Amino acid sequence: MSANSNPNIIDVSGLSPFNHGSQAPLWWGFIGMIIIESTVIATLIASYLYLKMGSISWPPAGTDAPDLLLPTINTVVLLASSVSMHWADSSIERGQQRQLTYGLIISILLAMVFLAVKAYEYSHLDYDWSTHSYGSIVWGISIFHATHVLSLVLKTVFVLYLELRGYFNRQRRLGVTVNGMYWHFVVAVWVPLYLVLYWSPRIL
Amino acid sequence: MQTSDANAATIETTGTSEDVLDRTWQSPPGFPGWFLHVNHRSIGKRFIATAFLFLLIGGVEALVMRLQLSRPGNTLLSPDLYNQFFTMHGTTMMFFFAVPVMEGFAIYLTPLMIGARDMAFPRLNAFGYYVYLIAGVALYISFFLGMAPDAGWFAYVPLSTKEYSPGMRMDVWATMITFIELSALVAAVELIVTILKLRAPGMSLHRMPLFIWAILVVSFMIMFAMPPVMVASLMLAIDRTAGTHFFNVAAGGDALLWQHLFWFFGHPEVYIIFLPAMGMLSAVIITFSRRRVFGYTPLVLALVATGFIGFGLWVHHMYTAGLPQLGSSFFTAASMIIAIPSGTQIFCWIATLWGSRPDFRPPLLFALGFFGIFILGGLTGVMIASVPFDLQVHDTFFIVAHFHYVLIGGAVFPLLGATFYWFPKITGRMMSDRAGHWSFWLAFTGFNLAFFPMHQLGMIGMPRRVYTYIDGLGWNGLNLLATVGAFVFAAGIVVFVLDALISMRSGPIAGRNPWNADTLEWSTSSPPPNYNFREIPVIEGRYALWDATGANPHVVGLRDDRREVLVTTVLDAHPQCISILPGPSPWPLAMAASVSVAFIGMLWSMWWVPVGFALTFVAMIGWHWPRHHVRRPPWEEKERPED
Repeated sequence: MSANSNPNIIDVSGLSPFNHGSQAPLWWGFIGMIIIESTVIATLIASYLYLKMGSISWPPAGTDAPDLLLPTINTVVLLASSVSMHWADSSIERGQQRQLTYGLIISILLAMVFLAVKAYEYSHLDYDWSTHSYGSIVWGISIFHATHVLSLVLKTVFVLYLELRGYFNRQRRLGVTVNGMYWHFVVAVWVPLYLVLYWSPRIL
Repeated sequence: MQTSDANAATIETTGTSEDVLDRTWQSPPGFPGWFLHVNHRSIGKRFIATAFLFLLIGGVEALVMRLQLSRPGNTLLSPDLYNQFFTMHGTTMMFFFAVPVMEGFAIYLTPLMIGARDMAFPRLNAFGYYVYLIAGVALYISFFLGMAPDAGWFAYVPLSTKEYSPGMRMDVWATMITFIELSALVAAVELIVTILKLRAPGMSLHRMPLFIWAILVVSFMIMFAMPPVMVASLMLAIDRTAGTHFFNVAAGGDALLWQHLFWFFGHPEVYIIFLPAMGMLSAVIITFSRRRVFGYTPLVLALVATGFIGFGLWVHHMYTAGLPQLGSSFFTAASMIIAIPSGTQIFCWIATLWGSRPDFRPPLLFALGFFGIFILGGLTGVMIASVPFDLQVHDTFFIVAHFHYVLIGGAVFPLLGATFYWFPKITGRMMSDRAGHWSFWLAFTGFNLAFFPMHQLGMIGMPRRVYTYIDGLGWNGLNLLATVGAFVFAAGIVVFVLDALISMRSGPIAGRNPWNADTLEWSTSSPPPNYNFREIPVIEGRYALWDATGANPHVVGLRDDRREVLVTTVLDAHPQCISILPGPSPWPLAMAASVSVAFIGMLWSMWWVPVGFALTFVAMIGWHWPRHHVRRPPWEEKERPED
């Protein structure tokens, strides 16, 4: 291009339309979404602790403190899904399609195990959201988080479908990256929620 | 058409490259096409127009209330209707006018001011608008069905719980408030990413116009302030519909939790409305004092400081709720500290105007009106920041006077000035100076006549939110004065709106830069072409047009045949990569409709929530379906021939 000789002109025709990581506006958009969701989580935790502070006994008399064993195992399952997602994520950076496919499938399965265990756990509780404020906030937080895990599964199934159709490759992998970011986020926020829901009634 | 302000129509004849570019960025015409628009100017104009409509509706509600209070024992409004009116007035003005109108201006102006062709996520913009529109229409349908909310715009529990507010009125309020905040949140993310990543080369952070700084700070505030109110209003909604007990004290809930969550949003909300107005004022003052602003850095720091301190004030709305003394003292101090950044800004503007030869045209008049009114509102703010005084005037008309001085002085006057100022850019035509002077003086006089007496009314004990009062309390004269003032104020607004409507069709042609202003939006034609800028400019200084050396540095290499925008680095705006934006799309509307199924359906049954969730997922798939599979593949073809 002849314009290149002019120092006042910046030629951007060589710049890539494939942008990765923090170059991409989409990456920043997801960061924004994560900040918003974190604020929601922080509000829920603050509300839990505020209600707890105002109660004489927490959980209220007649309701047992939550069981630890099953939720802890389930937490490990969810954390493991983040590992497989990271594997999927880093495979496509190296262009390894097959590992991406397997990583996505394993992550989806682990998340579904998490949801199934959760459903089992909550269907065996002797209280629900309309029993008392403890029930309201515990069920509220759990449903909020489980809905996120469910939407992770649905979104990742879509990503998997695109992957099976050969949409992603080493260059075009932003979709996998941001899906993975959001996955790690939903898994990571479970850790403080787990501590608040299952440990705070015992030790605080 | 022979003037220098070549608009889209003339450009078509000048060359094929513009022609292609114009078609690439064109929004589909016609009525069905209306629902496909994603362009930021189109969406921004819709936000502004819809918000002004809500301003008029909310204003009429205020006038009816003033008529009711004009004399003791008046029977124009029943107590029940009066409750609905003040609730709808507050809800409309705060949620459906003030925030959306600022978003509208931000969405319209941001890409033009930073030298971009559109925003980072155009479809998200359109989605936000539909959410806003659907929530607003649903709220007003409930009003006309006689089931408008009636527990005040901050809906304190237990008044707003099922026990004390039976029926669906507060259900409508709680779900629509949760819903509309979605619109603010997507706009915030969109604006932040656009400002951080799409600035033209050369516009490093310290060269950004002050309006853009204000929008950036406000968008961050929205991300932290809106989620708590969404959580709170959702809790209220499910307390009422699904039998949870978040706010039910009998079952271990807590009524004060509502107040904390609401005001943790509610106080920053004031600054969310006020800071964009500060940005507008800076633009107007720079242009009409015809000189560089005094203290750019302190002004930016004041914006950022306000953004932080704004989150530490919420408890000053709750002094009468019986909180610990230490807590109240802390919030008193914080509430007084915020006067420092506000004062800094005011002194910087005065210093800018000082000794300049200001051009007293309507935008500057409205800015000066702001000084008078807002400073009074700020002073009463410092008064009620102190606990003993606040205990005395809490829930009286003194508070009504205070926050109208802050909000109308701090946001509506700058907004009217800004509308006058950017009207030529948006429509291509000028508003009338004569009408502008009339509307300013009517609004300024009327406003003070209406609200100044309310300070006194509050001091002598008139509580807010009473539908009438008895004779002989000494309130009659001041109330009548306030009512007369309200109508004079309304006359000013009517003159302004009529002037805008008439000028839109028959005002004098504006040209590119009628005010000789400094920011980038004035370098393109009025109204801007579909693609905003023929060439993305390279910025040479903080005052893009005033600092231009004439060498006309610019960017080449963006393709004309698809919607390409240049992505630059966050701090220094160095070119980094290219982003390809989506074109017109039906999915934003489909997504907004799906989400509304969940929110509006929730009024009747919780089972609509999973239905809405499923529909939203379908819309999301449609939204994210790779353009590459469904439309012509521009560059993929050679890489993936098997597709």
